[in-house]
Amino acid sequence: MDVSAQLEAQKSKFKSINVEKQVSLQFDLGLLASFDTNALEENKLKTETDNYLKSYTRDGTQLLINEIFQLPLTSVQDVGVVVELPKIVTAIPREKPLPKPKPPTRWERFAKLKGIKKNKKSKLIYDEEKGEWVPRWGYKGANDDGSNEWLVPVPDNADPFEDQFTKLREAKKERISKNEARRRRNMDEAETGETQKLENKSKAGAKALKKTELHQQISVAKTSTASLGKFDKPIKGEPSNTKGVKRKFEPNIGDIQKEKEARLNILNKIIDKKGEVLNVRKAIAKNHQEN
Amino acid sequence: MRPLTEDETKVFFEKLTKYIGKNVLHLVDRSDETYYFRLHNEKVYYVSDSMLRQAVSIGRDQLASLGVCFGKFTKSKKFKLHITALDYLAQYAKYKLWIKPNGEGSFLYGNHVLKAHIGRITEDTPEHQGVIIFSMSDIPLGFGVTARSTVEIRKLKPTDIVAFHQADIGEYLREQDTLF
Repeated sequence: MDVSAQLEAQKSKFKSINVEKQVSLQFDLGLLASFDTNALEENKLKTETDNYLKSYTRDGTQLLINEIFQLPLTSVQDVGVVVELPKIVTAIPREKPLPKPKPPTRWERFAKLKGIKKNKKSKLIYDEEKGEWVPRWGYKGANDDGSNEWLVPVPDNADPFEDQFTKLREAKKERISKNEARRRRNMDEAETGETQKLENKSKAGAKALKKTELHQQISVAKTSTASLGKFDKPIKGEPSNTKGVKRKFEPNIGDIQKEKEARLNILNKIIDKKGEVLNVRKAIAKNHQEN
Repeated sequence: MRPLTEDETKVFFEKLTKYIGKNVLHLVDRSDETYYFRLHNEKVYYVSDSMLRQAVSIGRDQLASLGVCFGKFTKSKKFKLHITALDYLAQYAKYKLWIKPNGEGSFLYGNHVLKAHIGRITEDTPEHQGVIIFSMSDIPLGFGVTARSTVEIRKLKPTDIVAFHQADIGEYLREQDTLF
């Protein structure tokens, strides 16, 4: 029996899985989407809108399904043939705006100003006494103050009747409350926008600080040679080094004339600066008298 | 003891000119004998040439005072005139204020000058001007700074302050330890 004719008849009932497109489509299989950039045929769109759009959509879907079937298939019991979709390629805009950056704490601001960088430390450290790895802090941590031990040594110069256990416990309580107060302050400042103000202020201050630090460094570097910088060429804009310069005063009994002149000079400058303010009332009165 | 530096001289003269204006010239440039301003223990002294020459032979620790003390530099390098400078200030004063006998006592205890106490005042005294305060018999009593100008004083009530107290001769008794 020849089934090829029957097969052919069956096949002709369905549309072909091969679709011709001028520009090949783009797929994002993770989203099960295909993107068609081909131009629509305007005539067909106007005359037989529904049919045209249906067939157009079918073609796109067919191509998408073709693409899916090219992915590696796996068969799962009771479910059938399954395909694992790749990751989503298309970037989708996020629904909510980006979260605002957390306002920095006082310590973070200070660390930034001073250029202190956080370096990560391991959580466990080796305790040589115990011979085992213990957490750096916390329960049974390495920085335990020893108040939970059965014995606490009394320091040399301490009052022998003082309870060292309570002392340690109280110290810890104080540390905790202090830390808590700082945390509160940071929260308050973040809420009231005080942090932003302080940060803007410290930004201006940081520049000035950098400058003074630089000046200090220059003056140290300049005097770090064997000749204490005596023969070094001056740098442009170098800060004047006032360190180690002795105060010098004029002699008690010196040139009389010179001293007098210097004083008169200063006096004249002061008088010139002030100037004689014209007294309007007086001037008018005088003018009247003269006339 | 040492001469004043340029900055110190400037601060000092600026203060003096508030009270005697240009007449500071007469203190610096005298016809009779050369006089100097000298700094000792942060106080400024007005010393004649002959006295200065004698004083240089006395050690810094031993020298208590010399000449006429005009005032002192505060820790923040401002200058404060002492009552001991009154003789010179009164001599060259530009603006004067006379107070009646009933106000003398009050002023000499360090109070401000009220309108009720004024006997006379130099015409056209501006506001915030250093003035020398005299008794009605022309005895200098101290100095101060006007709170109001002469024109405005006329409108004031009798209990209003006319001049702020700066120094008075009562300080010779009250502050004799630190004055000279």
